[in-house]
Amino acid sequence: MVQEKRILYEHLDVPGINTFDVFRQHDGYARFEKAIAEYQPDDIAKMVMDSGLKGRGGAGFSTGLKWSFVPKDIKPCYLCCNADESEPGTFSNRYVLEKNPHLLIEGILICCYAMGIETTYVYIRGEFTLGKKMLDAAIKEAYAKGYLGKNIRGTGLNVDIYTHPGAGAYICGEETGLIESLEGKRGQPRNKPPFPAVEGVFRKPTVVQNVETLCNLPFIVGEGVEWYTQMGPTYGDTRFDPPKPDPNTGTKLYCISGDVNKPGVYELELGLTCAELVEVAGGVRGQEVKAVIPGGSSAPILTRYELDTRLDFTSLTLAKSMLGSGGIIVMNETRNIVDCLLNIMKFYAHESCGQCTPCRWGTPWVRDIVQRIADGNGRKSTITRPRFGIAENGRWGDTGETEEIYEDLDLLESVANNIANVDTMTWNTICVFGIAVSWPAVSYLRKFRPEFEATIREGQLTTLSVEAATVPPEENYAYQQRIVPRELE
Amino acid sequence: MSEELIQIQTAFRFSEENQREFDELIGHYPVKEAAMLPTLHLAQKQAGYVSPAVMTYVAELLEVPLMKVKDVVTFYPMFFEEPVGEYVIRVCHTLPCALRDCKVVLEHLKARLSTDVASETDLGKGTTADEKFTLMKVECLASCDVAPVIMVNDDLYKNLTPEKVDKILDNL
Ligand SMILES: Cc1cc2nc3c(=O)[nH]c(=O)nc-3n(C[C@H](O)[C@H](O)[C@H](O)COP(=O)(O)O)c2cc1C
Ligand code: SF4
Ligand code: FES
Repeated sequence: MVQEKRILYEHLDVPGINTFDVFRQHDGYARFEKAIAEYQPDDIAKMVMDSGLKGRGGAGFSTGLKWSFVPKDIKPCYLCCNADESEPGTFSNRYVLEKNPHLLIEGILICCYAMGIETTYVYIRGEFTLGKKMLDAAIKEAYAKGYLGKNIRGTGLNVDIYTHPGAGAYICGEETGLIESLEGKRGQPRNKPPFPAVEGVFRKPTVVQNVETLCNLPFIVGEGVEWYTQMGPTYGDTRFDPPKPDPNTGTKLYCISGDVNKPGVYELELGLTCAELVEVAGGVRGQEVKAVIPGGSSAPILTRYELDTRLDFTSLTLAKSMLGSGGIIVMNETRNIVDCLLNIMKFYAHESCGQCTPCRWGTPWVRDIVQRIADGNGRKSTITRPRFGIAENGRWGDTGETEEIYEDLDLLESVANNIANVDTMTWNTICVFGIAVSWPAVSYLRKFRPEFEATIREGQLTTLSVEAATVPPEENYAYQQRIVPRELE
Repeated sequence: MSEELIQIQTAFRFSEENQREFDELIGHYPVKEAAMLPTLHLAQKQAGYVSPAVMTYVAELLEVPLMKVKDVVTFYPMFFEEPVGEYVIRVCHTLPCALRDCKVVLEHLKARLSTDVASETDLGKGTTADEKFTLMKVECLASCDVAPVIMVNDDLYKNLTPEKVDKILDNL
């Protein structure tokens, strides 16, 4: 069985690790001291680029590359740490904040040193009262010990960290929504470009980074790039000749919930398969896996035929899904996919920020269609088409065959695809929330169509066996188009 | 404007302690408006909800038009525009909690408190007659590993069953 590889979470359960002294005894701030003593800021940025670190918040964008977009000559530049963690199924940031807040501070310090940043805002979701309290206490301690504030450790480096509470809106996790919210407005995402790296909070260059991403930095600096890149697969991107390295390096804090025996956060090297992760989490609760959501509720669902997909950024993208925030939700044979989709669509209909018409109206519309189907009022009709063949009387003529048309299913797919088209990957909205709505809607429908049809036919929620509910691999669009990336030698 | 309304509007001020906290946090930002969310949180903590008087006060403090404050308050679910109970009970009902029977917890709370669930536009619907509790549904609280969960004011309770819920309420 795959072994846990605890790096970020290594000292999580050490009693008192939330205090400066205990953290210090476990290498705390030593990596930051190494950074300022041995490296120039540009060296750090290069190390992060070479490490292949990809953002852990959802988009999986290369952190080093993002940093390279920040103009050097515009000051001040800000760091916003995204601790809004609201993607359903994700809960790894919370433990860092509540149990090991100094690790985050150390990560922030390294980022600030590398980028010449003096002010950091940590945007914490409003419900994380304990997390905010623990982080605030840790920040206070770090100020007292001279690791924050002016002229840190006599190097002339100035860094201030402020925590900023959110107020319960999911969309404030989107980086430009976060920035608007930080400025004291409604958290409505901005059009991009300009990207935050160029024009972010207070119209200044801003680096937005997830908690987990920042917590990786001390280890990249402390243990070195070579050590770091040994973890996780590096694929070859065959669109280039010779294949360009596509790193999926490091560990991931996989959050697994739903129908498994031991839900929780498991820190593992990137690249294990979905089936392996379910095993690590104590196996499925119930008889068998019906479906798995691999990256928070926004991610397209995987059927049991796709459980061999590796859980890393590249493999999941090529399997037409995404690693997203690493929130894995498992459903067993007793679950009804229509019901699950309804739950998720209620979430999105509630959380749309309302700026773009396709999202504001489309999302509740999708929810209403799924609700109608789940209530047993899904629309269908039977049509008779003249179809020529050998008819009952043994002679050539109209066979009188009828065909079932599930109008609501076509409508569902069309409304969802008009918010954001999952086949062409184009969206008619300002932010990618639109994709986060249509991805689940379309993938659940296409991959578990028999269950939707049965529910409409029977006029009530009808749960089929796993076998009967799942579209077989030959007819599964994602399975058919899936590419399994190959690791570089 | 009626006399009554003018009176309400002049009623709110920060307590001395909160004023100190406000003075500190306003220094975190290059523009005053950015202190909107923490200021509203602070004011709500003191007043119980964001009344028109609170909004006026916050607008003055941050030197922004009242409309901007109202704009923000109506956007974020954590700000209440009506009075709520002494204890606000938030029941998570998103998918991972739903897979772990959050419905049972919610139904139990409804029965025990004999109240309905508050809606965003009608908080009173979820408030008990004695104004002790307000029951509401919320989206994923980022604790799906210990689902189903609820929050009572600032405290999170995990792995709930009706019996555990009873114990929590008895101990309040
Ligand atoms: C609708 C939506 C919600 C998001 N929610 C979060 C979130 O809760 N936490 C987070 O870190 N990133 C979230 N993101 C991703 C951020 O936009 C952004 O990509 C990320 O914070 C960048 O940090 P990273 O590169 O370190 O991952 C969300 C994105 C979208 C579109
Ligand atoms: S896509 Fe939806 S959430 Fe994103 S900006 Fe538009 S309306 Fe808001
Ligand atoms: S779904 Fe309830 S805590 Fe995540």
